[in-house]
Amino acid sequence: MSTNRLRRIVIVGGGTAGWMAAATLGRFLKNRYCEVRLIESEQIGTVGVGESTIPQMRTFNRMLALDENDFVRRTRATFKLGIQFVDWTRIGHSYIHPFGPFGLSMEGVSFHAYWLKYRLLEPTTDLSDFSLQAVACRRGKFMRAINAGNSPLSNIAYAFHFDAALYARFLRSYAEERGVVRTEGKIVHVEQRGEDGFITAVVLESGERIEGDFFIDCSGFRGLLIEQTLKTGYEDWSHWLPCNRAVAVPCESGGELTPYTRSTARKAGWQWRIPLQHRIGNGYVYSSEHISDDEAIATLLANLDGAPRAEPRIIKFVTGRRKKFWNKNCLALGLASGFLEPLESTSIHLVQSGLANFMTLFPDRDISPVEIEQYNRTMTWEFERIRDFLVLHYHANERDDSEFWVYCRNMKLPDFLQHKLELFRAHGRIFRENNELFNDTSWFAVMIGQNVRPRAYDPLVDVLDEAELRYRMQHIRDTISRCADVMPTHREFIEKHCKADLS
Amino acid sequence: MNTDPIRSVLIVGGGTAGWMAAAALSRALGRSVQIRLVESEDIGTIGVGEATIPPILTFNSMLGIDENDFVKHTNATFKLGIEFVNWAQVGHRYLHAFGALGLDIEAIKFYQLWLKLYRQGHPHYIDEYSVSAMAAKLGRFSPPTLDPRAITSTIAYAYHFDAALYARYLRRYAEHHGAIRIEGKIVDVRLRGTDGFIESVVLEGGETLEADLFIDCSGFQGLLIEQALKTGYEEWTQWLPCDRAVAVPCDSGGELTPYTRSTAHTAGWQWRIPLQHRIGNGYVYCSRFISDDEAAATLLANLDGRPLAEPRFLRFTTGRRKKFWNKNCVALGLASGFMEPLESTSIHLVQVGITRLLALFPRRGFNPIEIDEYNRLCTRAWERTRDFIILHYHATGRDDAPLWEYCRNMSIPDTLRRKIELFRTSGRFFREDDELFVDSNWVAVFLGQKIWPATYDPLADALDSRALERSFQHLRTMIRRAVEAMPSHQAYIERHCSAVT
Repeated sequence: MSTNRLRRIVIVGGGTAGWMAAATLGRFLKNRYCEVRLIESEQIGTVGVGESTIPQMRTFNRMLALDENDFVRRTRATFKLGIQFVDWTRIGHSYIHPFGPFGLSMEGVSFHAYWLKYRLLEPTTDLSDFSLQAVACRRGKFMRAINAGNSPLSNIAYAFHFDAALYARFLRSYAEERGVVRTEGKIVHVEQRGEDGFITAVVLESGERIEGDFFIDCSGFRGLLIEQTLKTGYEDWSHWLPCNRAVAVPCESGGELTPYTRSTARKAGWQWRIPLQHRIGNGYVYSSEHISDDEAIATLLANLDGAPRAEPRIIKFVTGRRKKFWNKNCLALGLASGFLEPLESTSIHLVQSGLANFMTLFPDRDISPVEIEQYNRTMTWEFERIRDFLVLHYHANERDDSEFWVYCRNMKLPDFLQHKLELFRAHGRIFRENNELFNDTSWFAVMIGQNVRPRAYDPLVDVLDEAELRYRMQHIRDTISRCADVMPTHREFIEKHCKADLS
Repeated sequence: MNTDPIRSVLIVGGGTAGWMAAAALSRALGRSVQIRLVESEDIGTIGVGEATIPPILTFNSMLGIDENDFVKHTNATFKLGIEFVNWAQVGHRYLHAFGALGLDIEAIKFYQLWLKLYRQGHPHYIDEYSVSAMAAKLGRFSPPTLDPRAITSTIAYAYHFDAALYARYLRRYAEHHGAIRIEGKIVDVRLRGTDGFIESVVLEGGETLEADLFIDCSGFQGLLIEQALKTGYEEWTQWLPCDRAVAVPCDSGGELTPYTRSTAHTAGWQWRIPLQHRIGNGYVYCSRFISDDEAAATLLANLDGRPLAEPRFLRFTTGRRKKFWNKNCVALGLASGFMEPLESTSIHLVQVGITRLLALFPRRGFNPIEIDEYNRLCTRAWERTRDFIILHYHATGRDDAPLWEYCRNMSIPDTLRRKIELFRTSGRFFREDDELFVDSNWVAVFLGQKIWPATYDPLADALDSRALERSFQHLRTMIRRAVEAMPSHQAYIERHCSAVT
């Protein structure tokens, strides 16, 4: 038994990130391995922007061994098969970025390569016809995968839309059952060790002093420990992602329960629409240099499905990342670690990924700089690659209707993205690197959706002659369409399996 | 940029690399592209890389090759790993076995749990938790089972084979798929005036062969990539100082081991690769520290049986071509660079080259973006493999010879240093650059070469030690039963794939 083990971990802040951390530690630190305390104040609100998720979240839920139907009921969740992007490429245009693959690879060559050639033969072909998830989005259908051999129904990728506040509450009871102790209180002072600046304790308004060997900063944008105490510094990415505010408002839901998030590009940013069982979450992410708060609010309110259910709330942010996600004995998660707008619903994933990487480098009291460096290297890669994928959405546009979009089209890109675009423009090829989050399917969906055009298709696809290619493409499309036929509607599925008690 | 398709490919050289390329290209491109291979019976081939690693199975299955048929025709045997003798110190041996090391528990790596118990006096070395390793020790072989719940699904394997027979086997395959073989010796390479692209090669009889894309498999000389295109070479001899090898086959006697053996000597190391009909042997050495005669004598003194040929000497410079793809020429095999076969990666690196070439197959305009990407990806694959090989030399406790003194004290690439530091701290490993070797490979060699972490994953303490001991015991029992139920390597081959000759 190591005598050097952490005796107490203190989590500061109880939003989604804080309770995700608490639940994870509760799950893995068994046998009273060490104490875990979470400090939060009911006076401080939480920012629940990230109500839409990606399929990796199911790994997190499985890791906690959550019952999925129970989770859906208790967070009033709905299912998500992808994102619909409206008006991004140009006004009046829309496309779907679905989860899961398009078609299937043939003769060792990717479906994407074949489709690029097929489009030359059939210029009206719609890429989304080749994704079961995308077709189900269009038809408002949903079901979980079934065991159906090599049918697309055996492999349905999905995620959730849920109420972040309810999720935090759900995880709180999970964590408390596993020994995590919650303390109500506001932190007024942070104590550091003289010799190396490590954090030793936080002091609450009540005067209570809570010591710890390790601290997890989930205090949100302000970064109480990582920034205010440790002065870690912040790398600003707003030259690539110029939006710096959001206004959010929930509204009544009316009509169909869509199994996808919608993102609609607006004059100076974009609007999200996230359907829950009991309401719809909406928000307008915008650049304050290009539009006033009042105009943003008015635009948002004019574009709701139903009556607003609260006052619009404005959130200010600076896109970027903390220079170190882990500094000394403090790990930052969630908004304390950095901010990327929820355009591809990655906020919760970044918390999850931060936790997963932390658990693989779980320290003892003798914290190793080599391991901290490894953590920071991995998370920097994770943040930067997501950033590049988001920048692609802004950059590859054909809109001339506002200064904002013209700026985005002409801005200088990060090298990695520039390289990906150039490779894609050559033969439509995409290579996923070092486990970057978004795979070739995601990149392909957005590249094609935003009309990035390769100069030529992959010559290897010429092994199939045109007649054979047409035949196979038709066959894939028909198979997918028939699969979607047998799926229940999203609403039917929820009613049957996991309807929330809304009383 | 010209987007017309490539009409013709000319492969120069018909060793293992050349015929692997011909087979893969004829399979992937069908008959839409003309594929020719020019080779000369006067020029011998170098079949150093007779031992392989598990990805070879992917290559063969991509071609649609039947395993038993392939084994029969190449006198092949099965390989579950490599035994390293005298590497950490004289008298010490360890196995680098393929496949999983134990089973992870509660998302904690098995080897971390093992590190914890071993420090507390647990008597079983980590390879007792690898099915491949235990099968190797007992001379058993059986391919993995498909049911992922069965412990036998964690077996991974590769082959030892006769490289000349493999080339012949692939030649038949490639010719069947439309590739054309041309006998001839190249006397001249003609470049296009405008951009220096290769236009054609001229044969001894005066015949000229044109092509859009050239694949240089001409071996060390790099007839196209170096002699014609002057691409340049990056040397890695400061880290891998061996520069010669002497090879000799011998009679096999006794048991057919399902693994390669690598035995460190004073000035390098000796390979032992068992085939069905003979054993391949060689001594890779550093000419600074030993004479050719002495090396040959050492090799001959350390054979299982009677030598079957005169010892043959090879000279090489470890390193890589500065560009693997230059203009309209892609270099594969020894023409692309050289790394000693310590981890049996020679054929794999050819495979990587071919796979990447297909993934970035050009049109006649040869987009420089794609050529750069090819070179970047191949450079990474070579460098990460290089680091793994350097680890074997650097992490040694031997102080009995100047080669080992040098290697222990040499400065090593940063990428490797970081990996060693991370492992020394608390036994952690992170795969980088989509590298070939994963944690089970690195951990086997780290531990085998006696790099001991200062501590282990603290989370291992969240699990109860007695419960851990019980599940370890259970795992050992399962593995022992599984291995005892496997046929001997010899019996497996006799039943399924005894050589045709």
